[in-house]
Amino acid sequence: MKATLERLKGFFGASDEVIQRDDLVFLTVDKENLVSALTYLKNEAGFKHLVMMSVADWLEEGKFQFTYHVNSHELKKDIALRVFINRDNEDMYTIHTLWPTAMVYERENREMFGINFPGCPRVEENFVLEGWEEMPPNRRDFDTKEYSDKTFFPRDGRTTNDPREYMKEKLYSEEEK
Amino acid sequence: MKIKDVLQPFTAWKNLVKEPITIGEPHKREGAPRYRGFHQNSMDKCIGCGTCEDICQNAAIDMVPVEGQETTHSDSGLRPKIDYGRCCWCALCVDICTTGSLTMSNEFKWVEVDPDAFRFIPGADKKPWDDIEAGYDRADHYELHNFEREDMVELAPEVRDHSFVEIVQGYSKTQAQKEADRCVECGICVATCPAHMGIPDYIRAIREDDIELGLKILYETNPLPEVCGRICTHNCEAVCSMKYRGDAISIRWLKRYIADQVALSDYKGILNQNTIENNGKKVAVIGSGPAGLSAAYYLALLGYGVKIFEAFPESGGMMRYGIPEYRLPYDQIDKDVDYILSLGVEIEYNTRVGKDITLETLQKEYDAIFAGTGLHIGRKLPEKFLPGSDHEHVFAAADLLREVTMGQEIHVPKKVAVIGGGNVAMDISRTIARLQKVKYGKVQLTTTALETEEIMPADREEIVESREEGIVIMPGWGPVKVETKEGKITGLHLRECISVFDETGRFGPKFNEDNTTFVEADMIVESIGQGMDISYTESLGDKLEMGERGKVKTDGYYQSSLPWLFIGGDIVQGPDVIHGIANGHLAAKGIDKFIRGEKS
Amino acid sequence: MVNWKEDRSKFPEKNPDGTNKIDLNSHKFVKIWQGPQHPGVTGNMALELTVQGDEIMESKTHVGYLHRGFEKLMERRRYIQCFPICIRVCVPEPDSNEYCLAAAAEELGGIEVPEKAKWLRTLALEMARLANYLQWTGGQCGSLGMGTVGQWTMYLRDYVLDRFEELTGGRVYHMYIIPGGVRSNVPDGFEKRMNEVLDEIETVMNKDIYNMMFNNAVFKTRTVGVGYIDPKIMEDYGVTGPNARAGGLIKDVRKDYPYLIYDKLDFEVAHGKDSDIYTRAMVRRNDLLTSVSLIRQILAKMPKDREIMAKMPNVLHWKIPKGQTYARIEASRGEFGYFMTSDGSAYPRRIVVRGPSYTHAMSLFEKMLINANIADVAATMVSLHTCPPEIER
Repeated sequence: MKATLERLKGFFGASDEVIQRDDLVFLTVDKENLVSALTYLKNEAGFKHLVMMSVADWLEEGKFQFTYHVNSHELKKDIALRVFINRDNEDMYTIHTLWPTAMVYERENREMFGINFPGCPRVEENFVLEGWEEMPPNRRDFDTKEYSDKTFFPRDGRTTNDPREYMKEKLYSEEEK
Repeated sequence: MKIKDVLQPFTAWKNLVKEPITIGEPHKREGAPRYRGFHQNSMDKCIGCGTCEDICQNAAIDMVPVEGQETTHSDSGLRPKIDYGRCCWCALCVDICTTGSLTMSNEFKWVEVDPDAFRFIPGADKKPWDDIEAGYDRADHYELHNFEREDMVELAPEVRDHSFVEIVQGYSKTQAQKEADRCVECGICVATCPAHMGIPDYIRAIREDDIELGLKILYETNPLPEVCGRICTHNCEAVCSMKYRGDAISIRWLKRYIADQVALSDYKGILNQNTIENNGKKVAVIGSGPAGLSAAYYLALLGYGVKIFEAFPESGGMMRYGIPEYRLPYDQIDKDVDYILSLGVEIEYNTRVGKDITLETLQKEYDAIFAGTGLHIGRKLPEKFLPGSDHEHVFAAADLLREVTMGQEIHVPKKVAVIGGGNVAMDISRTIARLQKVKYGKVQLTTTALETEEIMPADREEIVESREEGIVIMPGWGPVKVETKEGKITGLHLRECISVFDETGRFGPKFNEDNTTFVEADMIVESIGQGMDISYTESLGDKLEMGERGKVKTDGYYQSSLPWLFIGGDIVQGPDVIHGIANGHLAAKGIDKFIRGEKS
Repeated sequence: MVNWKEDRSKFPEKNPDGTNKIDLNSHKFVKIWQGPQHPGVTGNMALELTVQGDEIMESKTHVGYLHRGFEKLMERRRYIQCFPICIRVCVPEPDSNEYCLAAAAEELGGIEVPEKAKWLRTLALEMARLANYLQWTGGQCGSLGMGTVGQWTMYLRDYVLDRFEELTGGRVYHMYIIPGGVRSNVPDGFEKRMNEVLDEIETVMNKDIYNMMFNNAVFKTRTVGVGYIDPKIMEDYGVTGPNARAGGLIKDVRKDYPYLIYDKLDFEVAHGKDSDIYTRAMVRRNDLLTSVSLIRQILAKMPKDREIMAKMPNVLHWKIPKGQTYARIEASRGEFGYFMTSDGSAYPRRIVVRGPSYTHAMSLFEKMLINANIADVAATMVSLHTCPPEIER
């Protein structure tokens, strides 16, 4: 494990090590080094199991964060590689050649975040959102409340009161004219 | 393929002769005792704090007024109305309920054709399951709230009992944030606070460590946060929704925490009050107590030239001359007052209106006058009610407290008896106890109250701390007579007080004459209330209309029948600091309207 | 003797990359849909099958019929409010969601859970596993037309749900494992009633169901050697849980990364080596019996103290420090996990659910079905124990 981490840091330029648990280490790598680092982890270091690939939207910083989470069954350790890409129109490399199952993750994230993965088969196909015309819904700036208000009809007759405001109105409204 | 594999499945045929285990319809199966079924809500216990609505992630709960539920200071009068089309039966609303009124029955079947019937107010709209005992309620040892108040660091009795150093040390940042974290932000407290301070807002500011925002919120409604953070009567804490199942939030000390964190020199920048445009109008304020200072502050912010006339050599009124230093250090009063003065408010000390300057002079020189002269005359029982009370060593508490503040030496004998069960009685008792401790090395002081300990008007912590300092408190005794021998006081005769208030709730104590006792004392202090001195208004004669109980009649803006004269503070309402501040604030608004001609 | 073996030298035609050549205009191929409403489909998902004769040339899994965007919804809710939502990711086994959410939030928020709560959490998780396996056993037999077993296992599952009802107050959505601990202690007499249920389950599983499933000629004929997963591709396709264990890849989070109190319990991980439907069924049956034994152990060894909830910050404005973590458990279908990203506010920045079905039902299943018989689709699908809501979240 130690040697693997050293190799990642030395050869693949991984940085920002976060030891979250004894069995879970986060590292940040450049987008360019990602595929080679993952290839090394899978083929040489024994991290053969792709636990998950996920995307988080850091809207404020204008970044998408990818997390490639791999696991070694022999070592019982996890390494999660973080990759940051620009939020605007940047593509991501596909890793379906390493793990065929990554194809599904990439297809999903293309649909949910609008990130393209050139070279990934069937990536253009719909995943869960057939006929979706809004912006990719998992983006931070997609407002689910607004969408639901727009799409569905509200139920009549629902009003609520804030206790503080209601008590003001009832008990001392005349004081603050 | 083995023949066994073909035959063995047929062994299942033996089940043909078994009794079925299915429950037939219509089944009467009850839910488990913990089943999360339809809600129940106790209308009397519920205070309408809306925390259930706050936690509901489905937005299934609305807070709506309910007939028969009055809006009072401790109850918003609102009750949760649940939309069962949205409810997911997670019961987080039950877990978070501050009073424990909201529970669930184990009823899960209810057939109704009208979909709108599934939106109702549990408890108010009668349902068959309202009285079912079984059903979900918070389990023992499972609690989402933290009901324990953060402990305040206080000086130990042996350290404090001979000095006037402040007892309460204030919260540290961690403590304040932990205490602020307990708040559920229901806002019930806001209505009760006479100044309607933004209590949930400044508590949130503490939690988010935004002290500057906190100070801004404080000054919106209260220009004396250091004072109020120490000695406010904190009625807010009496209605806090956390008090039902635990300790109320320590609102007063959180307020103090904010003010303590900011240096006086930073106030102007934070409050953005560096420049205030003067509008050329002038207002006189009589008395620099909480009401006067509050009026002066808000008038100054509106651009008025304000001048305060103070009879005493220093500012603060009762805050300085009525409250002992160990509760409210003078430098903290100075901090609040200095900030108000830094806004251009002038103050003239040792000037008693009516004596050193007349009201008429002020009326001519200023556009309006605000009077908040307070209750400075200590009341004493007349000779006919308490024989012997004319003796020179029978004092009134307010007078003694004032003399101590002014640095005068007061008469401190070895044995003292104090009459009164309020906070002023505690103040004078603890002040004299300290002087006794210094002078004689021991405390011999008895405080008698008419009320029993449960209903004594003094704050609980005052009673506890007094006892820690060696004071004997005798609740439930009324004075009969001051015993004198050879011209010197020897003690006080007492009789048992059975009840303090009559059936109508008015003051009318009843005594058990058979049960009497005697307390040895060389000096008696009476702390039975204070009176006002508004002799400066005598020249106005009948033009000044009087209201109930000798108080001047005022309107909602504390304007008297003479439009230019506004009156507030203890002489109108209270007595306490926060009412004074609220009066002063409203009077400032009224004066502004009056001067701008929006109000007659 | 007639040779029934078909000549596969010319059929099916292959593309250069080794995939089946499909020409829909040749009229030799038919495109049919299995699902989204189909008795042989687990939950609401659809298979777009291209068949030639009764042989499947290509399969595509379609999901989205249950999508509610739970991950996105959780971004708009405070941490405590996520708890009633997350369970909906998996209906038959909601407790794994509750635990993963709680574990991730507790790890990032630095909350230590009382010992008793850990035992109760394990109890709930094992009971959920038991209930889910029972339901699955019925499903596996149902997919082969043996509905009787399904009826037995469903009544057994109902007994487990009865116990859930008295422990948690809910039958399906238990909402029991909450960040900070659990919501209640076991009621009086629970141990006795639970043990009665366990006894009955053990008896029925070992006698009737064993005879009807594993000693059944029909079942054996339809499952032995069918739905084979090559152990060599398991890591590539992210296969976990009983599906992996049936192929000799012994992965069990309970043993590999002991969470809660699994290190204090005595159990063997069930596994096999043939990697077909029959072996997977056998592994699940053994796992079910392991669960029964684990629940017995938990009930016997559980400490008697009553503390079930940690001192929490006020959940109405509980802020979790910035950070990321992954909490994983062994659910009945495989490795289940929550990847939580906190930005330091009172709302999660992002929660990603790793459902085992995500890999099983999509890429793996699509690969498995190529050249399979159309009659085996349902059985194969159930044998992977897929659950569409995990894919869509």
